[in-house]
Amino acid sequence: MIRDYAARSREIIRDEPGVREAVTGATIAFDEKRRKGYAEVDADAWRRWAEGVKNHTLTHLDHYLTEAEARLQANGAQVHWAADAAEAREIVIGLATRRAVASVVKGKSMVTEEIDLNPSLEAAGIEVIETDLGEYVLQLLEEPPSHILGPALHKSLRQVQDLFAERLNTAPDGDPDTLARAAREVLRNAFIDADMGITGANFLVAETGTVALIENEGNIRLTTSLPRVHVAVVGIEKLLPRMTDLAGFLQLTARAATGQPIGCFVSLIQGPAADPGDDGPEEVHVVLVDNGRTDVLAHEHAWEALRCVRCGACLNACPVYRQTGGHAYGHVYSGPIGSVLDPGLLGLHEAMPLPFASSLCGACQDACPVRIPIPELLLEWRKEAQDEGLTPWKERAALAGLASVATRPGLYRLAGRIGSRLGTTGAARALPMLGEWARDRALPKPSPRTFRQLWREGIE
Amino acid sequence: MRAGGEGSRERILARVARAAASRGRLSHPGALATPAGADPVAGFVKCFTSSGGEVVKADRGRPANEWLTDFLQALEPEVVGVAVGPEVPADLRPRLPDVAAAHAGAGISVAWGAVSESGSLILPSTGTRAVQLLPPVHVVWVPEGRVFARMEDALRELLDGLPAAVGLHSGPSKSADIGRTVVTGVHGPGRCMVVFI
Ligand code: SF4
Repeated sequence: MIRDYAARSREIIRDEPGVREAVTGATIAFDEKRRKGYAEVDADAWRRWAEGVKNHTLTHLDHYLTEAEARLQANGAQVHWAADAAEAREIVIGLATRRAVASVVKGKSMVTEEIDLNPSLEAAGIEVIETDLGEYVLQLLEEPPSHILGPALHKSLRQVQDLFAERLNTAPDGDPDTLARAAREVLRNAFIDADMGITGANFLVAETGTVALIENEGNIRLTTSLPRVHVAVVGIEKLLPRMTDLAGFLQLTARAATGQPIGCFVSLIQGPAADPGDDGPEEVHVVLVDNGRTDVLAHEHAWEALRCVRCGACLNACPVYRQTGGHAYGHVYSGPIGSVLDPGLLGLHEAMPLPFASSLCGACQDACPVRIPIPELLLEWRKEAQDEGLTPWKERAALAGLASVATRPGLYRLAGRIGSRLGTTGAARALPMLGEWARDRALPKPSPRTFRQLWREGIE
Repeated sequence: MRAGGEGSRERILARVARAAASRGRLSHPGALATPAGADPVAGFVKCFTSSGGEVVKADRGRPANEWLTDFLQALEPEVVGVAVGPEVPADLRPRLPDVAAAHAGAGISVAWGAVSESGSLILPSTGTRAVQLLPPVHVVWVPEGRVFARMEDALRELLDGLPAAVGLHSGPSKSADIGRTVVTGVHGPGRCMVVFI
């Protein structure tokens, strides 16, 4: 539950100190790469352009959705519309049952997490195998992803070594290469045996009906190529007007996400295999999912969050996200974008107190490739929450405390020092805004030996 | 599928139209003008190799298929069987036994084209996807005159006769999901090699 954000953050910081270290290290590295990737191009011009294209698309979405549908159908693909998560699940399970599907391979997809697809496939007796390496690790651990890009970035090498030693019989000190090879072997067979591949989509191009998917491993290419049925589950905000728009978005998204000029693999899928030499799927289905998106689109301010291309750059830049990773947030979309999108998708009441889990430092907005004004949107949600009397002031103050301490290394150091000298109560007295946070626990434990160093590297 | 599907379509489109109308319809900003490098082939090589792709020079004094045969046999581990896409003409096919892609030491394809600014190969599904994806090594013949400066130029030209699927390959398969260490060949080919023709 999102409601437990504060308690869960406390638990993670207290009980799983490795998480903060792993997440902070990984996000700072991503953020650094993003900066380099932006510096190689005229990033400001690209971002303004991308913002404009998305705004145009979102205000013509009815037009582009129908255009994409018509193109896809002309290409031989089938299009389905799902008003909510239940309907989306029903559609996918209906397709699987009709084709007597026994096993499904999946590419990493946020929207299928959002609609909670895997448990219902499994309940229908269908085996589901996540094929992104990070997702595969998490599936073995039965954990949800904690980051858009690196779903398992909160896991250390040690944890994966232990897991694979137990489940795949690898040596207890296997290096990442050996571990990846062991997973590849299992997953290669899964690809060959699977009857259906399920993916999300990074973009859907109206002009051509193209489902576009970006990745580095090649598992999505395999998921969309080997099984006889491919189902793409696509949020309705993923539309782009033309292929020439896609050309820009493929590159900008990759630069924002990992600093690469483009992902190692991009799949552009127009429909089922048609040419004699083509060994691709016999059926391609596109499931267009609303599930709260039209509510966000109708919201006076929040609609801007629908420009999001799920690159993860705002998570990587966020000092508050770095403390806990994504699990604390309690919903698939975490970090800054989660804090502005979840209230729109789920309703503000359901998403409390996420709009308060930020110091409004603005790093997210500066990183965002489509210039979503995240701090402004957070303030709008806070105003609405206050107007509706949705959260007690004590919790608001406590979250503001965590956020500002996380954002300002000087304060963090001070809190850490005082905390260790005076113990929890002393620290709480010294920094009263930390009162709620400090309750029944020590202050976020530094390990600041490397942490301060990391700060200097990550934040100018 | 439940009968509500059609209802959902109409409801979603009506809600989208209402939101758009109340906001005002915003115009498209036009094309993104990315600069085109002076030498597309050099640009491609730089970008493709910096993401781990390899560019190999063929010995142009010899027939291409002979050169490729020797080249594949000299690889470590030696390539014994190959999977060759249907688009590869006879004079570009190595003289090695054809085997199923899942068991081949190398896949051989001809690219439709390449993109300089992103270092990408354009591989249509009129070739065989298993050849492009399953073997540990992927060797791709690229016609030198088909290197586009910008992705936009390539995708625009691709619009004519767009096949069911297109793969853009811009380096070997990679992951840093375990311990943040980059490993190659996770799912797709661990080596992606370009030879210009
Ligand atoms: S809000 Fe912006 S930075 Fe964050 S994931 Fe979305 S597009 Fe990326």
